Amino acid sequence: MNEAVSIRNLRKSFGSKVVLEDVSLEIPRGQTFALLGRNGAGKTTLIRILLGLIPPDGGSARLLDRDPASEPIEVRRRVGYLAEDQVMYGWMTPLELCRFLEPFYPSWDMRTAQDYLDRFEIPRHSRIRHLSKGQTVKLGLAIALAHRPDLAILDDPSIGLDPIARKEFNRDLIEHLQAEGRTVLYSSHLLDEVEAVADAVAILHNGRIARQAPTEVLRDEIKQIVLPLDAVDSVRPPAGLLDVRRLDDRIAVTVDRAAPFIESLATGAIDHEVVDLSLDDIFEAIVIGRPQGWPRPLSAVAI
Amino acid sequence: MFIRVERGSSVPISRQIGEQIRAQCLSGALKPGDALPAVRRLAQQLAVNVNTILRVYERLAADKLVEMRHGDGTYVLPAAGKASGSRLLAEQRDQYTGELNAIVCRGLLLGLKPQELRRMVTSAVAAARSGFESDSATTASEPAGARSS
Repeated sequence: MNEAVSIRNLRKSFGSKVVLEDVSLEIPRGQTFALLGRNGAGKTTLIRILLGLIPPDGGSARLLDRDPASEPIEVRRRVGYLAEDQVMYGWMTPLELCRFLEPFYPSWDMRTAQDYLDRFEIPRHSRIRHLSKGQTVKLGLAIALAHRPDLAILDDPSIGLDPIARKEFNRDLIEHLQAEGRTVLYSSHLLDEVEAVADAVAILHNGRIARQAPTEVLRDEIKQIVLPLDAVDSVRPPAGLLDVRRLDDRIAVTVDRAAPFIESLATGAIDHEVVDLSLDDIFEAIVIGRPQGWPRPLSAVAI
Repeated sequence: MFIRVERGSSVPISRQIGEQIRAQCLSGALKPGDALPAVRRLAQQLAVNVNTILRVYERLAADKLVEMRHGDGTYVLPAAGKASGSRLLAEQRDQYTGELNAIVCRGLLLGLKPQELRRMVTSAVAAARSGFESDSATTASEPAGARSS
């Protein structure tokens, strides 16, 4: 099987609050995959289910051919996990923490662990509570990788890092995970950085995956098209309409899988302009776009 | 090789990198036989996905601007038919001129005076040149006369 992660119809509610309504997702081996969503969209809940830390209400997940609900320990032994708010024993030193963790992982490699401590410039003998935020995140990454996992799951790794530390972290991710062919699933809301690093993205919204695609495909397929307002007389709202905005005498529409619509405008000789969108714009259109605003044809407006 | 990636731009990163390498091949900043950085090294340096860099190199190879030698590296090819190379360069320069006109127009609309625009261009040129010079690969190939201007 080629998927490192395979999720089918996963559901989870906390009390009356539905967090994951119906989530399905496949991540091929070797891919760097970014899970995007607003705060509270359910990214961390999904990740915690994948690691067998909480049970789903329904549906199934498989990581590296194992089911986290029935074999949580086996899954956690094989997956490198960096939690969102990693709490570590502040009185330990990084080296002591590595020794402490070693027995939990059959494939733990103390040399690899120490290599990472050196490469990430983490002082081995300082107390963890004296490390900076950036050093703590890097220590988290070092211990997530020290057992040489085929799959690393990183929950918002760049939260709280300054811009330079984030860039360094991305470089480490590229050098130590991507270039070695390992699968990475990470959640983030720093879209500019995701675009540079991820092979593919999924947008989690309203308890479902609103869209999943390779990063470049997403940018190829979702476009903004600016039309003169009077064109709405002859143009019908296209399939895949994500957002409509009115700008004086023009309207700007954001459309998913826009190619057929653009073609129909061209064949209909309707004046239009196609605008490329950044990942940020695309995310916004999917998550808070308002497709209802298609203007009524002008000719129908009574004065 | 000097490459600058603008994050959050509406131009996809692969296109940004591809066009900068292409421009450097066509202008002669990268000479036939020059090696491009290894895929992983450039990925790491720019903090950009390894597969993105690989795709850029493959596209440049498909356009016969570079050659990917398996297990060795990626090398700039002699401009396949100098004529088509200079035509491409002319096209790119035309496009660039168009972009510059649009930017100047916007500056005027924002109420900037022509001499202010001129000053901005001068300082942008200086900034870009110091960027080139901090990068060893391009410094050597820059004509000595260009610096005194």
